Amino acid sequence: MKKTFLHGIVSGIMAAVAAIIYSGIYQNAEGTDFHKLINIGSMTGASLFGCMLMAIGYYLLERFNKENLKGLFNIVIVVISFVSIINPIGMTLPLDIKNPEMFPGLVVPMHFMPALAFLCLVPFFKNKKA
Amino acid sequence: MKKLIFPIAVGATLFFSAFTTFTSMNWKIADGYSVKFTSKDPSGVFTSLKGDIAFDANNLAAAKANLVIDVASINTGNGMQNTKAKNDSWFNADKYPTIKFTSSKFAKTATGYEVTGTMEVKDVKKEVTIPFTFVNNTFAASFMINRIDYHVGNTEGMNAHASTDLKIDVSIPVTQQ
Repeated sequence: MKKTFLHGIVSGIMAAVAAIIYSGIYQNAEGTDFHKLINIGSMTGASLFGCMLMAIGYYLLERFNKENLKGLFNIVIVVISFVSIINPIGMTLPLDIKNPEMFPGLVVPMHFMPALAFLCLVPFFKNKKA
Repeated sequence: MKKLIFPIAVGATLFFSAFTTFTSMNWKIADGYSVKFTSKDPSGVFTSLKGDIAFDANNLAAAKANLVIDVASINTGNGMQNTKAKNDSWFNADKYPTIKFTSSKFAKTATGYEVTGTMEVKDVKKEVTIPFTFVNNTFAASFMINRIDYHVGNTEGMNAHASTDLKIDVSIPVTQQ
């Protein structure tokens, strides 16, 4: 459990750092300002939340000896990440926010960062077989 | 000669004060204006408004307003909707880059004033009467508009869900020129 929990925390922090760096680069390059909608706190919170959900999923599969379903679970994670991009694309921003067409370009990649971070760290947190 | 000094002074004062009254009619649009449209779907704002306003509550016959809205400044809060609003079937911003209002008559009403003029949207020119108030150097108007009357979009396919009647709220703070 400890290892799975750590997996969630570390990958959540990694995804948050990636999102914060990407946000800085994107907003500076495009000259946009979405800080009213998305900030360091929300990026960190969302990344940790997503990665902890995945960690709970992994924990439950291990707990009930269904580790063979991890591959399927990984696919579900990716599909959910992909489907979740509908939200920022269809979102109506407050009217005082300029250039709303630039918002999906900022947020859509971030929706994949928790899954990327979690899945790429799987080998480092693999439970040793007895 | 001394007898003439006083009448000349009075005459000069009246003459120049007349010009003062004349110049005080002209107003410059200040920052903080807003042109909002609201409906069930879509809602949004136009962020660019230019124009000339001459208005004196005591001389409505001389009042006039020419307002120009930049269609490309539309903001619905959604990038895809903004792009769609500028395309051929909606505002066709490339061919008709502006929305124009040119006044022809001002009148006093029980609650404020009303202005009659020509609203030009796309290829449609239509006479409209808009009620408004002028308080604290701010013109404020609220009225309804039917987008179909101005050939903005249609009611077919995916456009069927878009409201045809939109409420327009305009607030224009001004400074004296």
